[in-house]
Amino acid sequence: MAEQPQLSPEQLKALQERIKQMSPEELKEFQKKQCVFCQIVAGKVQSKKIYDDDKVLAILDINPANPGHVLLVTKEHYAIMPQIPDDEVAHVFMAAKSLSNSMLKSIDAQGTNIIVANGIAAGQRAQHFMVHIIPRKENDGINFVLPQKEMPQNEIEAVGNKLIAALVGAAEEEKPVIPAKIPEPKREEPKKESKKSEAETKQETRSSINLDDISKMLGVK
Amino acid sequence: MAIKPNCIVCGIIENKIPSKKVYEDDLVLAVLDVNGANAGHCFVMPKNHYSILEQVPDIEIGRLFQASNKISSAIFESLGAQGTNIFVTNGVPAGQTVAHFTINVIPRKENDGINLQWQPKQMSEEEMSTVELKLKEQTKNIGYFEKEEKKPRIHAPKQVVLSEEEEEYFTKQMRRLP
Repeated sequence: MAEQPQLSPEQLKALQERIKQMSPEELKEFQKKQCVFCQIVAGKVQSKKIYDDDKVLAILDINPANPGHVLLVTKEHYAIMPQIPDDEVAHVFMAAKSLSNSMLKSIDAQGTNIIVANGIAAGQRAQHFMVHIIPRKENDGINFVLPQKEMPQNEIEAVGNKLIAALVGAAEEEKPVIPAKIPEPKREEPKKESKKSEAETKQETRSSINLDDISKMLGVK
Repeated sequence: MAIKPNCIVCGIIENKIPSKKVYEDDLVLAVLDVNGANAGHCFVMPKNHYSILEQVPDIEIGRLFQASNKISSAIFESLGAQGTNIFVTNGVPAGQTVAHFTINVIPRKENDGINLQWQPKQMSEEEMSTVELKLKEQTKNIGYFEKEEKKPRIHAPKQVVLSEEEEEYFTKQMRRLP
C-alpha cells in the first residue's frame, strides 16, 4: 500500500481542524478519498475483481498468503465489523461462504480460512473492513498459531458473566431484540426427527464431490 | 435439531458436556473456550450439525456471524480488548480439528502470542490472471442468498407507574405546550 505522506505538526493541526468542521456527508466523502479500498470499489484503483454485487466486492489480494487469496470488502466504508448493520453482516458472510465454495471447486483448495481482524492489535492494516478468504492445501507453509492458555474455572465464570452482561445490555438497547441468552434446560428432541434431518443434510451436499471429500477428512461418515 | 452422536460440539449443545454459555438462540450457541488463546475466546456454533462451512445454510450463516459480531462488540466493551479476530478453520488443511463448524471470536492485545499473519507469496501477473479466471468462472453462479423473513416481534409495552408528584409534573409540562 502507498506510504502516507508525512505531515508537519502545523499541517496535521490544520487537517484536524478541517475534519472537525466537516458535516457528516463531507466527512464520508473525505474518508472515501483517503481509503484505498473505497477507491477500488469506485473503480479508481485497479484490481482483479472476482465477485461483485450491490453490497460487497471480492478482489484478489496482491500479497496473497496462497494463490487465490480473496479480500471481500463492503462497498460502504466501515472501519471495523462492529459498525456494520446486521443484515449487511449476514450478506457479507453468505458471500464469503459462496466464495469459499468456489475455491474448493475451481482452484483445488482442500480447505479455507476466513479471517477478520478488528483493530491493529488483531493485525488489521487497512482502514476498511474486509474478510480474508484464504484457500488452503496441506503443507502450504501457512502456520496460524493459537496458543492454548489454561484458564481456572472461576476466571471463565467471571469473564463469561462480563460478556453476558454486555450482550444483554446491547440487546436491550436495540429495538428488534435478538433474545438475550437464556440458558434454559434443553428439551428432548425425538431421535427419529434428528436422524431424518441428518439424512436430508447429507442429500443436500451429496451433489458436490469436493465437499464430501473435505468433510471425510474430518472423520465424518 | 440435527445432532450427531459422538460429536463433542453436539454434546455441548445437548448439555451433556458442561460449558460456560454466553449466547444462545434457536439456531446458535456461543460458549467460552476453556483452553482459549486469550481470556474471553469464544466458540460460536450452529446448533444443527454441519461439519464444514459450505454445508451450513445461508440463513444460519447470517445468524452465526451476526452473533459473532455481537460477541466481538461485547469483548471490546467489557473485556478492554484492543482488537478482535473472527477466525474460521474450514477443513483439516486449514487447521480444523473438530468436525462441527465453529467460529472463533478471539479478544486481542498487542504481543499476546497469537499469530494470524502470513508471508506473502510471490506470484507473476500471469499466475494471478489464471487464478482470477478460474475463480470468476465459479463465482458467476453466486447471486442468490436465502433471506430470513423478518417476523414481527411483539413487545409488551412497558408499564410505567407514575407517582402523584410525577403525574402532576407531566401534566404541567403538557399545559405548557402550545
